[in-house]
Amino acid sequence: MKKTSTGPDPIVTEIVRNGMIAITEEMKSNLMRTAYNMIIYEALDFTVGLFTEKGETISIGLGLPMFIRGMAETIKAKLEHYGVENINPGDILLTNDAYITGSHLNHLTFSMPIFLEDELIGFACCMAHWPDIGGTLDGITTDIYSEGLQIPIVKYQREGVVNEEIVDIIRANVRLPDRAMGDLRAQLTAITTGERRYLELVKRYGRAQVAASISDIMDQSERAARARTLSIPDGVYEAESFMDDDGVSISDRIPIRVRVIVEGDEMTVDLSDVAAQVQGFYNSGITTGYACSQVAFKCITSPTDYPINDGSFRNLKAVVPPGRVVSAVKPAPMRWWMTFPMTIVDTVFKALTPAIPERTIAGHHADLVIAMLNGINPKNNEFYIAFIGPTGGGWGAKQNEDGVSATVCINDGDTHNSPAEQLESKYPFLIENYALRKDSGGAGEYRGGLGCENTVQARADFMLNAQVERMHCKPWGLNGGKEAAGNAVVLRADGIWEEDYPNAKLLTARIKQGDAFAVRSGGGGGFGDPRKRPAETVADDVRQGYVSVESARKDYAVVCDARGNLDAAATEKLRAGN
Amino acid sequence: MASKTGNGPGIRLAADIGGTFTDIAAFDPSDGRLVFGKTLSTPDKLIEGIVDGVDKAGTAFPEANLFLHGSTVAINTMLERTGAKTALLITEGFRDIYEIGRVNRPDAYNLFFQKHQPLVERALRFEVSERLYAEGAIHKSLDEDSVRQTCALLREEGVEAVAILLLHCYANPAHELRVREIVEEELPDAFVSTSHELSQEYREFERCSTVVANAYIGPKVESYIAGIDDRIQEDGFDGSFLVVQSTGGLYDGDQAKRQCVRMLESGPAAGVIGTRALCDAIGLENAIAFDMGGTTAKAGVIHNGEALTTGSALIGGYERALPVQIAMMDIFEVGTGGGSVARIADEGGLRVGPQSAGAQPGPACYGQGGDIPTVTDANVYLGRLSPDRFLGGEMPLEVDAAGTAIDNKVAGPLGMDTADAAQGILRVAVTAMSHAVKAVTTERGLNAGDFAMVAYGGAGPLHACNIAREMGIRDVFIPHSPGHFSAFGMLFSDLRYDYVRSRFTRLADMDFSAIEKVYRELETEGIAEIENVSAVPERIVVSRAADMRYVGQEHSVTVDLAADLFANEDRAGIKERFDAVHDLRYGTCAPQERSEIVSLRVTVTGMLAKPDLQRIKQGNEAPSPDAHTGVRQVRFGDERLATDTWDRSRLVSGNKIAGPALVEEHASTTVLHPGDGLTVDDYGNLKISIGSDAS
Repeated sequence: MKKTSTGPDPIVTEIVRNGMIAITEEMKSNLMRTAYNMIIYEALDFTVGLFTEKGETISIGLGLPMFIRGMAETIKAKLEHYGVENINPGDILLTNDAYITGSHLNHLTFSMPIFLEDELIGFACCMAHWPDIGGTLDGITTDIYSEGLQIPIVKYQREGVVNEEIVDIIRANVRLPDRAMGDLRAQLTAITTGERRYLELVKRYGRAQVAASISDIMDQSERAARARTLSIPDGVYEAESFMDDDGVSISDRIPIRVRVIVEGDEMTVDLSDVAAQVQGFYNSGITTGYACSQVAFKCITSPTDYPINDGSFRNLKAVVPPGRVVSAVKPAPMRWWMTFPMTIVDTVFKALTPAIPERTIAGHHADLVIAMLNGINPKNNEFYIAFIGPTGGGWGAKQNEDGVSATVCINDGDTHNSPAEQLESKYPFLIENYALRKDSGGAGEYRGGLGCENTVQARADFMLNAQVERMHCKPWGLNGGKEAAGNAVVLRADGIWEEDYPNAKLLTARIKQGDAFAVRSGGGGGFGDPRKRPAETVADDVRQGYVSVESARKDYAVVCDARGNLDAAATEKLRAGN
Repeated sequence: MASKTGNGPGIRLAADIGGTFTDIAAFDPSDGRLVFGKTLSTPDKLIEGIVDGVDKAGTAFPEANLFLHGSTVAINTMLERTGAKTALLITEGFRDIYEIGRVNRPDAYNLFFQKHQPLVERALRFEVSERLYAEGAIHKSLDEDSVRQTCALLREEGVEAVAILLLHCYANPAHELRVREIVEEELPDAFVSTSHELSQEYREFERCSTVVANAYIGPKVESYIAGIDDRIQEDGFDGSFLVVQSTGGLYDGDQAKRQCVRMLESGPAAGVIGTRALCDAIGLENAIAFDMGGTTAKAGVIHNGEALTTGSALIGGYERALPVQIAMMDIFEVGTGGGSVARIADEGGLRVGPQSAGAQPGPACYGQGGDIPTVTDANVYLGRLSPDRFLGGEMPLEVDAAGTAIDNKVAGPLGMDTADAAQGILRVAVTAMSHAVKAVTTERGLNAGDFAMVAYGGAGPLHACNIAREMGIRDVFIPHSPGHFSAFGMLFSDLRYDYVRSRFTRLADMDFSAIEKVYRELETEGIAEIENVSAVPERIVVSRAADMRYVGQEHSVTVDLAADLFANEDRAGIKERFDAVHDLRYGTCAPQERSEIVSLRVTVTGMLAKPDLQRIKQGNEAPSPDAHTGVRQVRFGDERLATDTWDRSRLVSGNKIAGPALVEEHASTTVLHPGDGLTVDDYGNLKISIGSDAS
């Protein structure tokens, strides 16, 4: 190539772009393949990434879409803590400080500075969820101290030498020390892979050219984000929703109010009026407040722009005063941090709907809808911890498209559920059903997606632990679309279903042999007036069993039988009335 | 099928039907002669294409005793959704799992994401009242009357194919078998498929998707195979008709009619088998099989002389994929081919592929009205492809049209000159294709630099040396007739039957006699199948493997296990093998940790006699002057160099050519960079040593 060109070579920029994506993908696959815990390799509760020497995001490998911000903030905090002059080749920096990562103590975040000879040129970073970090096992927590080991910013490794004392402290504080060390090794594999590949790229194309390309990639992302923000009419857009409760003060609703200000090619997401931090473990740190804004913004302005980089967010301002439920301060409990932010993201979409109805989406089930079970397995008399879910629920309809059914919430990405055949071979369960919930999708000209029901019978007693939200704040419809069914958790004892709970949080329940529980995920809200949905489409929904005959009549004003045979005359009459 | 043959004299014919062309390879064992024929694949006359191709190759069906066939008919029926009206019968409570799937959402920030679309609509999915425990014991017995009632509905609906999936059938197939009997009684004309015939591996969604795919494509594939069988018999064929599976192994035409889903990827798999055959012939242990065509580039791996396979694949792109849980060649594919278009993305960067210009209008240089530049246009503009010798000169290429398209769509917007932009398009394409090579090597713990690369497909030889440089590969082989390589590979396939059965047991508690019983059952079944095939193998080879993991892990790895490990009840030996495989694949292992077995695998291979390849004429180091066809200005790195062009058909064994050079043949051009050195080997393959020169 020409070596005299001014500015970055656009071809090298594209090669560097592909290179960055490939490096973070390789970091991700190395982590997934070597990790010991299924939360990493099945639930994909991790994120890897490459960052500039200042901690700006160059490329993130997901993982967890909601962790878009956590690692960058962690690197910036580490730089500030030590001072750049005290970060040396061979160091590995560690923390799980929940108020820095914005999430919970289970997220151990390792960062490795990348040096080209003596010059710091970036960081490779890996956050991953450990299944246990100590602390109390069951029930709700009301401060951070009961949630386990807190590791401030430390050097896990100093100039190539591991600090064994830190290893000892970790081992002494977690329930499964060998597994934890397995996950730790997997994380180190990921960041050393990142370091090696990044250096290869820099050596191949030159430090200056790679830096210029990275800056070019960020500028391109910024231009695209600005252009797409500019296409949103200026204005102040507001919306409100709520969470069911904080698990401590049962049935006390928690308000979520967001304000979005669009001015030219800039957007501000103001979360000042989101509820104050709460007693139960649903808080998250300010990093997550920013992450909520970024996730919503990316979905609207650059959903398929890769790599995920800081350039995309230069025209976004997030206003998050401390002490809100997504900017909680110590000693707020944080263990179930991931639930509330999803509803905030949904509420931002709701706020923007009057401005850009063609780009937003109705409310979704917005919860992992998982249950954690533990007990003794009679097959081998061993203690086990198992998960049911993520169940997958309904997603909202859009202006021109039905919502998608049975898909993980926005906190999760390429996250998989567990096959019934796998669960039943490992644990003393009998899965009675895993089925779509008829009528759970919100009615609309475009119908919301359906939620699911997953019923689990005990073949031997076990303890159930579930902390599901959005039973009462049901996924809303937009522009005349109806709301969907909410999430729920229900029990069956001695053949009798108990469904009348104040919320969907069953923090400790013993399920006896032959008894069962079910998790039910909500649907997605509808979009537009259900009476505008073509009668033939509604009748086909009935034929497929997505919508009942009754709902067709009541919600869509369509008359048909269970096999979808449309009564056109009766439908016309019904639709003409009112 | 016809009478028992296989190894005797008589011509061995192979036909590979791809998207664009039907390739025929014919091998005559009496003199080791190999001939090829190529015809266009016309969708409604695929069988005629075979017959024409055989004719073009200068042979005829009565002279043949083996007819080997691979086809895109199965995969196209699935992707284009032109299969039968299909119903699914499934265990009570699980009607929706085929639609629910694994609930993942890979396109994480896209609110307009899409999920897989089932091949059977919900209204045609019915529950069967029955239930087994994971151990195979009956929790709820089968309600046969309800199955018959459901069948009445299926008749009413005019259902043509029925897929049956019952939970835990791998532990006990009795219910699936009985449901099948009932359905066959009630709907005698329907194509009926049960999941355990195809996969006895746990994971109900993946197995369900597999059996539905089989039923859905079944009627069409069945009549396609029957049509070929009739037609070639009419033409006087009296040998064995065998079909290539996605593993590259062969199975009987009659079996292909029932287990259609096994032939989804037959063409690409045959290319890897061809690579293995080439490795055998020239004594290579490790090679990357690289296949580049018009729309995609694919990479597979030969490691220690064996083609690496996988237990499942995703059909139709990751986001919306329908999984198929059967053994397949492990091939990674990227959407980069000769027809891939270059464009400037909204963000301002240069992107190449995965969109393709297709055949109409095709690349700009085809002169058919295309104005969007493609990888082929970049090659033409840079002088790498001859405008007047493409497809043997049958299709003149327009260099100016290529230049204009590159100027308008890439060079102009980026403020570059045309040649730099063309070079840029190639560089971006090469990095994307290198990703496919990395995916099959680096990502499983193998170092690509330790492998040779065998490059084929129409566009493989054009880009092989670029990719080799990118990956640190030192040796590249361009086989004889790279455009017919899949058909060539078929000639070297063996009969092959793969079995898997999930069986969960910790290694420490494993009951060897129970495990032995399962292996024996699977092996006996495989041997019986092979003995049923009309072709007679030289010998039958049985191999065992197990999917293993550490206790607590979910993902398992497949470990090949020698039979004596079981005969000696050698737990420690099995564990050692597992630790070693884990270490190779993931770079770590934990010898102190407990392990468990998840599934048992058996492969039964009926080894067919292999063609003995004919050696070509020997010559001097200097190629004969009449092989030299001219000099062209070709761009390498920053400058255009005067580059010799050679006619491959006139090269003989021992000829050497130094880069820069172009070696041209009917459907392909091999590009040698400055510093590269080429030698023609005894079989007519081009062996290229990659120079240190980076360009």
